[in-house]
Amino acid sequence: MRKTCLNAAHVAAGARLVDFHGWEMPVQYKGILEETRLVRSHAGLFDLCHMGRLVVTGPDREALVEHVFSSNLGKMKLGKAKYGFLLNEQGFPNDDVIVYRDEDAVHIVINAGNRDRDDAWVREKCAAGKFKATVTNVSDQQAMIAIQGRDSEAVMQPLTSIDLSQVPYYGFAHCKVGGVDTIIARTGYTGEDGFEIFPPPEKARMLWDAMLGSGKAFGVAPIGLGARDALRLEAGMPLYGNELELDITPLEAGLDFGLDLTKDKTIGIPALREQKAKGVTRKLVSLVASSPRVPRHGYGIWHDGKAVGKIASGAPSATLDKNIATGFVPTALTAVGTKLEFDIHGTRYPMEVVPAPFYKRAR
Amino acid sequence: MASRPTDIRFTKTHEWVKLEGTTATVGITDFAVEHLGELVFVDLPAKGKKAKKGETLAEVESVKAVGEVYSPLDGDVIEANAGLGADQTPLAKDPFKTGWLAKIKVAAGTKIDGLMDAAAYQKHLDAGGA
Repeated sequence: MRKTCLNAAHVAAGARLVDFHGWEMPVQYKGILEETRLVRSHAGLFDLCHMGRLVVTGPDREALVEHVFSSNLGKMKLGKAKYGFLLNEQGFPNDDVIVYRDEDAVHIVINAGNRDRDDAWVREKCAAGKFKATVTNVSDQQAMIAIQGRDSEAVMQPLTSIDLSQVPYYGFAHCKVGGVDTIIARTGYTGEDGFEIFPPPEKARMLWDAMLGSGKAFGVAPIGLGARDALRLEAGMPLYGNELELDITPLEAGLDFGLDLTKDKTIGIPALREQKAKGVTRKLVSLVASSPRVPRHGYGIWHDGKAVGKIASGAPSATLDKNIATGFVPTALTAVGTKLEFDIHGTRYPMEVVPAPFYKRAR
Repeated sequence: MASRPTDIRFTKTHEWVKLEGTTATVGITDFAVEHLGELVFVDLPAKGKKAKKGETLAEVESVKAVGEVYSPLDGDVIEANAGLGADQTPLAKDPFKTGWLAKIKVAAGTKIDGLMDAAAYQKHLDAGGA
């Protein structure tokens, strides 16, 4: 198993480590529910070094990104980030990604499990389209640390060389954090305010400890992948492999905001324009279970004695104090209030379609 | 870690069994409980259910996962620790005593010599517990 540059910090903190796409990662430190509550009430730190990062440079860098990225880079201001997909020709996502439009480069953050595939895909499209661009995989030359929660700005400001109140939501800037040159982005995967930084790996541990030190007054602690998954599910954010896959389109997953269907030269957009015109046959819904059993990934969804779909993600929600899930069902069963069931070994448990997302922070 | 009782036997899949006459009390080990993390539910077998060695007897659900509990022997379920459905604290805090899962009536002469004693189980855990 591969280890991130923060592995020793996780071991020292007593984390339970698990294999996550070939990486030894902390699934929890104190407990998933407690860590979830900490991020919702104050802030927590996340080791995201295992995630992939590509940098595209050269004169045709933006044309190449427009070609492979489902959202509209040209409409983004410099210093802004946007969520979208690397689609294949059929409109299915190879991955969901965040693209950062920088002055002389475009940064793309990709999922750990899709690192090699995305890298090969973008390079292949670059070569095939004869773009004058260079794709560099900086995943191992860059660490990635997130702080998420309402106290994030207060924790980061004393360490940061710029005024963070001037960095808007989904904006980023070059600055020094703890004396180290890095990009700081106001992005995240929890539904809370927060930042992500991309320092060199050899500085990661020092910054991790500095952030914990600065956050001490707020009770800031490291957060594992278990709480990260629950936080993103509560906030209505997809996880590749659950809500998105090579056989699930972003339209089915309700992620239209990551698409610009008017684009002509982007791989997969014509196929999705066609799907949009025809209408999708199934859609992702948000579900709340009224049983003590937890609906989980892969369980069957039933309606009226028939199997109608599958659970995409499910977890006990510390924030709602209920068992929550997402799942794909035929469009006729997507109305809020629709009563459905999930199946565990032939026993069915009730759940109900609710509005998405489960959790939205007050701004 | 609290030391484990010496009058019980262990399976590789982290169940324990205490045999008294023809009544076997079955539970899961401290290692299993620790590994599952925060417990949210226990699905217990109904009285009268046929327990079959190696087949699912109960399910222990945590925030992150569902753990299958395999029956260490054949028999009939005569009692389950019903209170665990609503409150999993006994299982989390005291898995070898108040956190037991089910009692199984087994045939006279049933032996559990094939299972591990506490020392062998500790060796199994030291080797990774898989």
